[in-house]
Amino acid sequence: MGLGQLASRALLRSARLAASNPHHQFRRAIVTTPELHNSAESAAAEAHPEPDLPKRNPVAGARVHFPNPDDAIEVFVDGYPVKVPKGMTVLQACLMAGVDIPRFCYHDRLSIAGNCRMCLVEVEKSPKPVASCAMPALPGMKIKTATPLAKKAREGVMEFLLMNHPLDCPICDQGGECDLQDQSMAFGSDRGRFTETKRSVVDKNLGPLVKTVMTRCIQCTRCVRFASEIAGVQDLGVLGRGSGEEIGTYVERLMTSELSGNVIDICPVGALTSKPFAFKARNWELKGTESIDVTDAVGSNIRIDSRGPEVMRIVPRLNEDINEEWISDKTRFFYDGLKRQRLNDPMIRGADGRFKAVSWHDALAVVAEVIHKVKPEEIVGVAGKLSDAESMIALKDFLNRMGSENIWYEGNGPNPNADLRSGYIMNTSISGLEKADVFLLVGTQPRVEAAMVNARIRKTVIATNAKVGYVGPSADFNYDHEHLGTGPETLTELAEGRHPFYSALSNAKNPAIIVGAGIFGRKDKDAIFSVVDNIAKKINAVRPDWNGLNMLLLNAGQAAALDLGLVAESEKSIESAKFVYVMGADDENLDRVPDDAFVVYQGHHGDRSVYRANVILPASAFTEKEGTYANTEGCAQTTVPAVPTVGDSRDDWKIIRALSEVARVSLPYDNLSAIRSRIGTVAPNLLRVDEREPAAFSTSALRPEVKEKPDAAPFTTVVDNFYMTDSITRASKIMAQCSALLKK
Amino acid sequence: MASVVRGALKLIKEKGIGGFFREIRNEGYLSGLLDGNLMQTKIHNIGATVVGVDKFGNKYYEKLGDTQYGRHRWVEYASKNRYNASQVPPEWHGWLHYITDHTGDELLLLKPTRYGVEHKENFSGEGDEYIYHSKGHALNPGQRDWTRYQTWQPKKA
Repeated sequence: MGLGQLASRALLRSARLAASNPHHQFRRAIVTTPELHNSAESAAAEAHPEPDLPKRNPVAGARVHFPNPDDAIEVFVDGYPVKVPKGMTVLQACLMAGVDIPRFCYHDRLSIAGNCRMCLVEVEKSPKPVASCAMPALPGMKIKTATPLAKKAREGVMEFLLMNHPLDCPICDQGGECDLQDQSMAFGSDRGRFTETKRSVVDKNLGPLVKTVMTRCIQCTRCVRFASEIAGVQDLGVLGRGSGEEIGTYVERLMTSELSGNVIDICPVGALTSKPFAFKARNWELKGTESIDVTDAVGSNIRIDSRGPEVMRIVPRLNEDINEEWISDKTRFFYDGLKRQRLNDPMIRGADGRFKAVSWHDALAVVAEVIHKVKPEEIVGVAGKLSDAESMIALKDFLNRMGSENIWYEGNGPNPNADLRSGYIMNTSISGLEKADVFLLVGTQPRVEAAMVNARIRKTVIATNAKVGYVGPSADFNYDHEHLGTGPETLTELAEGRHPFYSALSNAKNPAIIVGAGIFGRKDKDAIFSVVDNIAKKINAVRPDWNGLNMLLLNAGQAAALDLGLVAESEKSIESAKFVYVMGADDENLDRVPDDAFVVYQGHHGDRSVYRANVILPASAFTEKEGTYANTEGCAQTTVPAVPTVGDSRDDWKIIRALSEVARVSLPYDNLSAIRSRIGTVAPNLLRVDEREPAAFSTSALRPEVKEKPDAAPFTTVVDNFYMTDSITRASKIMAQCSALLKK
Repeated sequence: MASVVRGALKLIKEKGIGGFFREIRNEGYLSGLLDGNLMQTKIHNIGATVVGVDKFGNKYYEKLGDTQYGRHRWVEYASKNRYNASQVPPEWHGWLHYITDHTGDELLLLKPTRYGVEHKENFSGEGDEYIYHSKGHALNPGQRDWTRYQTWQPKKA
């Protein structure tokens, strides 16, 4: 078909359309000049949107919440009527109308800067194009996003942006996922008119994580706003004006935030990129696997980008209830630890004390032989920090069948309260913390224990001026807080109403008490918990509509371990044990194990406990297996294998299942769904993946009375190095660099 | 034919009768008795001009005039018993195959000194140590390690 024929067809069709809809032109006229007509007529026109417009859906499924239905206003975006709440910007209204406005400086979670001018749109009766990100939508506003004027304005902005932008996309790590690259496809010119020399900017050293190529910077100031608003560090700023404008640290210093890696994601160009990932891969070579982070108890949602058998990088995934769209630096950069110090062969320690690689058959046979030789009460199992629910239930079932009741999760301390779920999860939920108006942090330093929870608290403190009281050793906070005291006696004062902070707590509408999991290790924890319960009762923190009594757990498997009841009959049993099954527990002190005990280490990293092992069974890391983890708020989430297992290693639960068969006490599950249905009989909440199931009862009413008084010993710091908390992060070189340079 | 006899007589005069026979053997006339290719080359050589000799000793002949076009350049390999086409170095390859009229000696001047690798003939069938294996090949002694992870070492050496 010739071009002429095509054109004539198109013309014919439009003529036919015009003929079939004679009111078309007339109605247009009403819409564009409503003041000339009476309100009834224009209301009728608004009520019936033009029938020839194809339906449009909000960009990326955006939804809008109307806090007050009376505040809804109607605007028109390219002729589409859309209802938005008062105070929304033109850009947000366009998103709701299904029009994605190009932008560089605007970011949903940051304050509005309005300095990139890329989001210019035409608004009727406005003499100039307006920056839609900074312009509030007004009732009846008629926004045109695709007019020649708006396009020309954006092209002009793009030309100025590209004037000083180096043309180094082929060697830029952002290439392929660069906003500037994408938008220059639509608004860029194919030739430049700029004949002068481009400016160049000295690169800044922001530390071992963020690589800067400041010549590429377009001064959107997203990173500056992120650092001051979300991360809470005043490290980044704008220096100079005009063409001399630069982003930098005012004096030569590193960026000291635990969230600094997020500036890599929000940078729309390649000015801030990941230093460990630099020149390692192109983003289109990577396979993304949506998984869960296990380095802390938050369970941040991540995407594991892998190429072949290698994890190349980790980026956040949006989850409004847990990590929003940020992740901590530990989550983002520990991945190189997955490639180092790996156990890849089953090994047996010979008579000479040296390890020898053996086959699975031999290794399991040795373990099964030994476990039958010891008495049931001398068998002990310890699950490690990174254990998933499947392997923990398998270990518990296996050792129970061998007659032992001594299986616990490291770091839960003696006799943890596993009976009442509300006693060990964050009852308020992470997103629920935003509703709190007073926080009481007891023995927890959320900034190092759970950086994403800390970001949430900071968000609340900034947004609503919520008060924060802190009981514990002196610690680093990035928001205003009151240091009330260091030990349990401050809690007692609060419980008795003698402390000055008590009035703030008791006047609070939604007080949130957050108790750190470090308390689990204390001998007087029951006494402390009863004091905390007293405070909660007095300030009315636990109500049907609000549960403000929270535990902040430390490790990924902790909530699931307590859900599954991994509680030892007696913690002392390890001192008389003859057979110790260590499932990745590297922080358990194995010096207490008697010298003649037989230690089986099952895990993925040669970290600490392997050195005491008699048999090593290599397991897969969380990036290589499917596993269920419950985070500190009790939300069960699953990891998905992103890369193949290394060497001869196997999934944790499969090893235990195989061992049970060799030991002739076969466990009754052969696949993941069977083991999950077994989990369902113990802790059904672990099967409700990606859904948070609140605890049924609150603790304070059900806990037994504790007569004893808490010790005077002050609370201690639980996590002394944010960057190295488990076997994977301890194996990571990047984390080692971070702890050397940035350790707080 | 007369020139051949004259040349032979001259050689006998210079080297003596023993030297003459040694020369005959070294030049491959004896193996040529069993090797038709070689003998044909030797016969071809009569009256042709030697254009050049490369560093391996291969002689490059050209005979213009009464030879068929396209058969007027040839090589007599230095080795008389084990010869193959891969013994021709790249600088002579172009001349020999009528790709260029520049002789190998002229082209050698263009060879980059910094990264130009010495020519090596193809040793296929001569034993594994002579055969080129790519770096991914199992028989390459300097085979690349494709393991993407580091294992834990039980004892630090």
